Amino acid sequence: MFTSNPFAELTAFLPPIAMQVYIVLMVIAVFLGTVADMIHKNSGKYFAQRQKEAKAAATKELSVGDKASLAMKTIVVEVATAGEFCNPQRRISHILMFYGFIFYLVTTVIMIFGYPTSATPTPEILPLLWNAGVIMVIVGGYWFFFLLRVNVAKDGQPIFRLVPADLFIVTLLGSVTFAFIWTYVQTTGTLTETKIAFGLYILFTTLLFGSVRWSKLAHMFFKPVVAFQRRVEEASGASSLPPPAPNSEGS
Amino acid sequence: MPTFVYMTNCDGCGECVDICPSDIMHIDPTHRRAYNIEPNFCWECYSCVKACPQNAIDVRGYSDFAPLGHSVRVLREEEKATISWKIKFRDGREKNFVSPIRTTPVGSIKSASEYAAPNPADINSQELAHEPDGLNVKELPALTRDQLKQGVV
Repeated sequence: MFTSNPFAELTAFLPPIAMQVYIVLMVIAVFLGTVADMIHKNSGKYFAQRQKEAKAAATKELSVGDKASLAMKTIVVEVATAGEFCNPQRRISHILMFYGFIFYLVTTVIMIFGYPTSATPTPEILPLLWNAGVIMVIVGGYWFFFLLRVNVAKDGQPIFRLVPADLFIVTLLGSVTFAFIWTYVQTTGTLTETKIAFGLYILFTTLLFGSVRWSKLAHMFFKPVVAFQRRVEEASGASSLPPPAPNSEGS
Repeated sequence: MPTFVYMTNCDGCGECVDICPSDIMHIDPTHRRAYNIEPNFCWECYSCVKACPQNAIDVRGYSDFAPLGHSVRVLREEEKATISWKIKFRDGREKNFVSPIRTTPVGSIKSASEYAAPNPADINSQELAHEPDGLNVKELPALTRDQLKQGVV
């Protein structure tokens, strides 16, 4: 189960081109959803306005080297290690979901386009990484869903009262959970069971990538840009925050 | 001057929801970020502003009678035990203040739950729970019955 390419075995009831077309459609859906989200929220306009204000308030000009260094810090701290989270549990959960999702996404694309049938044997590392990604998202995602969602943990809302903010996490969990069930059923169940599990997997995956306009998926693209801008504002003296306090005696 | 949240800075940790004495800081159901649900009920206590680890909460007047452009920004540095304020006026003036927030290290004070449960027999004592030990004194002055005014007992 963990070392076989689940997409190559789809050829029993689906031609390889179908999944390849599906991937292309999902990429288009994410692109259109992100653009629609940006237009709806006026994100580009407000971000440009923030940049203009920060430039006017800056007390120090940053060189290209300074900006490159800030970009590196943003990649290492905010993107790679989810440094913006002050709650360590949320940070670990986010890291599990982030890397799990990337493993899951990248290996899916490689397996569907590079190894679409059993005729081209898939290197074992790919399905292994795909399954590792699925399990990481399941662990981090259910942990977040049941224990860490702030509206449940702090605002006292019931766990199963779903709100629009849950669209992303619910569709993501649906996608990976049914992906896991589907690969399990592939090795142990009948063809009908496999088709049902696969159908549910495709349904939740389509909802995940097709709902970008309304869900939080697009945060993957704009969060790093905002984190970088915040670092630029701090370094150029344009931050609205007070300067750090001097160290006092005995502290 | 009620508080408001910069949504792009908020990471949805819920510290402000916990600390707000007026219970008006809640979580937005669409973005899962904090917001002030009822600015006109804000006590202006600044608890959320000071508690926010992301410095995502600011303060401003009501836009219907106060021209905007002012801000009250706060930087809380626990490791230095200080809180810094940057007050920006509408005419562009700025004032900066730094104040100590405590004289002991963060986490060094015992919380109420760490004390032993009070003895029910102490209900007849004039002292409150964990007195006098909790006040770091050997004993507290107390009145005896004969010192009380006639008619009190």
